[in-house]
Amino acid sequence: MTHDVWDGDDEAEAGRLVPLYILVNGRTSPRNTSLDLATQVIALPADQTRLEQEYREILQQCTGWISIAEIGAYLHRPLTITKVMVDVLHEQGFLDIGSPAQEKIADRWLLETVLAGLQRI
Amino acid sequence: MKVVVAGGFGTGKTTLVGSVSEIPPLVTEEVLTQASIGVDDITGVEGKTSTTVALDFGRITISNDVVLYLFGTPGQDRFWFIWDELAQGAVGAIVLVDTRRLGTSFPAVDYFERRGIPFVAAVNRFYGECPYTEEEIRAALELDETVPLLWCDARDRASSKQALIELVRHALARLPATA
Repeated sequence: MTHDVWDGDDEAEAGRLVPLYILVNGRTSPRNTSLDLATQVIALPADQTRLEQEYREILQQCTGWISIAEIGAYLHRPLTITKVMVDVLHEQGFLDIGSPAQEKIADRWLLETVLAGLQRI
Repeated sequence: MKVVVAGGFGTGKTTLVGSVSEIPPLVTEEVLTQASIGVDDITGVEGKTSTTVALDFGRITISNDVVLYLFGTPGQDRFWFIWDELAQGAVGAIVLVDTRRLGTSFPAVDYFERRGIPFVAAVNRFYGECPYTEEEIRAALELDETVPLLWCDARDRASSKQALIELVRHALARLPATA
């Protein structure tokens, strides 16, 4: 666990009473529209001390490649909010984003890789 | 990469996701806010209701850089916009069919057909004997003859895996020859 430097007093043991939409400045959708539930992200080394706790929780999930859907599930956050927060973190250089999952699948090689992988498991 | 697991309510989508996933199936939520339009709302109060839609999903690691995610669609057909997000860029879909209620899977068949998304229909043999022939099921679901129809047991890992394999084969077969 990280040791947080606390600089405010609006947080209680039971958690904060700040609605998540405040943390994303009311944004309702990510600017990067290629973000998808299955998009993989990973945390980049960066100084996180100025980040809100909710953002740091996301980064803590991303020590290895992980999908946006998994982050949402582990943190019990709605997907859209998770997606917007991931987008914010990416814009600010805290996260790297893997290849988008939703390009048109016309890649024979990729499908053959999946097929071979499935037959192996 | 994504695979969508669709089908009517109670056709075994969650079971299938769980049987092949390498992690215990996760549930993620989407909160919807919608204006309620109550036709019999005599007070004329227009409130906002929020609904939570749960999505089950699982994952299968194919290689170092390819991970397959299986997403079960929400049981209620009215959440089409979530289907849109799930289906976009997906390898394809497995439409589960419950022979006791063939009709419940028709909206899913129709959805993927209209959008040209590769899919296979998998008849879930949850409940033993299937009273219908393949022809009868195809006719009931208006399945195109090019769409593979297979029998599976969503509880069985090997069987669910086979459905996935059929789907990927089908998707491959639909690619243009010059890839």
